[in-house]
Amino acid sequence: MAVAVIDLTSPGSARAWARIAFSAAFVVVQATLVITAGSRPEAAFGFRMFSESSTISYSLSREVRSGPAADDVVVVPVPDGEWSAKDSQGVLRHVSWRDRVKRPELGAFDVTFHASYSARAQLSRLTAALDDVAAHTPDDRETVRLLLDVTIRHNGREPEVVHLQSARRP
Amino acid sequence: MRLARAQRDGTALGVVRVALGFLLLSQALVSARELGTLGYFGDVFHMPFIPEAWVASGKLYAVIIAARLIASVLVVIGHRGRPALFVSGALLLYVLLCDRLQFHHNRYSLALFAMLMSLAPCDRSFSLVSPEGPTPEAARVAPFWSVYLTQIQIAIIYVASGGSKLLDPDWRGGLVLADRFHRFGAMAMERGVPAFVMEFLGRPDVSSGLSKLAITTELLLAIGLFSKRTRAFALWWGVMFHFTIEITAKVEIYTWLMLTMYGTFVTPDVRARRLMYDPTRWKGRTFGKAVKALDWFARFEVKAWEPDDLKKSRSFVVIRRDGTRATGVRAFAMVARTIPLLFPLWAPLALVASFTKGGETSAGS
Repeated sequence: MAVAVIDLTSPGSARAWARIAFSAAFVVVQATLVITAGSRPEAAFGFRMFSESSTISYSLSREVRSGPAADDVVVVPVPDGEWSAKDSQGVLRHVSWRDRVKRPELGAFDVTFHASYSARAQLSRLTAALDDVAAHTPDDRETVRLLLDVTIRHNGREPEVVHLQSARRP
Repeated sequence: MRLARAQRDGTALGVVRVALGFLLLSQALVSARELGTLGYFGDVFHMPFIPEAWVASGKLYAVIIAARLIASVLVVIGHRGRPALFVSGALLLYVLLCDRLQFHHNRYSLALFAMLMSLAPCDRSFSLVSPEGPTPEAARVAPFWSVYLTQIQIAIIYVASGGSKLLDPDWRGGLVLADRFHRFGAMAMERGVPAFVMEFLGRPDVSSGLSKLAITTELLLAIGLFSKRTRAFALWWGVMFHFTIEITAKVEIYTWLMLTMYGTFVTPDVRARRLMYDPTRWKGRTFGKAVKALDWFARFEVKAWEPDDLKKSRSFVVIRRDGTRATGVRAFAMVARTIPLLFPLWAPLALVASFTKGGETSAGS
């Protein structure tokens, strides 16, 4: 079976049309990505440079069982993302947020900094990180849920607080 | 169809390739450093754009980083530069798709530009491994369609960036810029910007005006770069715009990437101008040598002359494409217009030159 190869680097009508088709497809894809960038939290592939000047800070805490009922819980602050909890054998274990979340901007608790790529992007990443840590700390048999209180100043406006919570742990 | 068939001299693109190679190398080194300090991203929290099954394993990721390092060095030295550009750009894009936590607009732009330039004749100059001596013209001329596509990509970036700001009331009104000036003021001052300047920039009326200027700049750059009449000024204004961003914000490689890609707007000819200098004068010799060394886009044929009636009072003369001659500050402006490192000086020099009466001679004089 003959295989047709289009050489994009030498002259000729078919090649010229191939170049036009490639270029048109490229521009259409780029335009689509730019137009739909708002549907992605960090506006990825949309070239929205310096879209915001928002700041963000967040505090971690955890819901811990305090009684036999399912809703018998107390909220315990987690300073600097480090805590201790008993495992299934009753042995006290050290747990660190940063064992799972290595990006410095997602592990800087109680510090105010620039919300790179928009506050929405950082909220999306923190929500995913919260679920990830909650799902990957099997030694912790005490924590019911992880909580993040996120303070956002949107482009220098008055701060607003968003409460994030992980999925309930078994 | 005409642009799809166009064949042009690719000599000037060698500089773009080398600069892209260094930028790709810097990004590969960042990835290598992060692998060393943070470990393999797939073992910990990450957010892929693509399905998890398509994300590179730890071993493959290490191989990818090694391949990016090697490919970027090949791009710089010009050994199989174009395939290396494609590999380097494609692997960078793949890494960004594997983990959106590593995504940055400038990295994505770098990947796109690397892949687009791999289709352009950017391997005709600045190669450390090609035979010595000038490349014959026939070998330098090649299809140029992908360079035009790269230029369109530059315009897309400016339109997307400027357009999104225009549609955002906070940006349009100056709120975003004012807050940025307040919060990044200390960093800018560390980089040498006087305190009173940052204070002035942070004023609501000033930041509102600057916001509109920034939006207008980005949108007009997308048009101005494509017109022969406005291109030189658009490039100069763009250089000033990106330098301002560089000293007032943290933007990774964005400034250097965009300035690199401005090289795709260089007129694709070689040594179409001449610079004649007086070898008997120190000033002439120094100027001739400096232009020869810094003329990365091969704009000038640099030659010493035997002084005649016109030239005996001059250290150097620039002969333009159309044969007209310039001396003094006009010649300086002409040289600054074409030498990358001197380009920021071009507009002020051209302005000064426009007020001078001398320095312009006809071809026949």
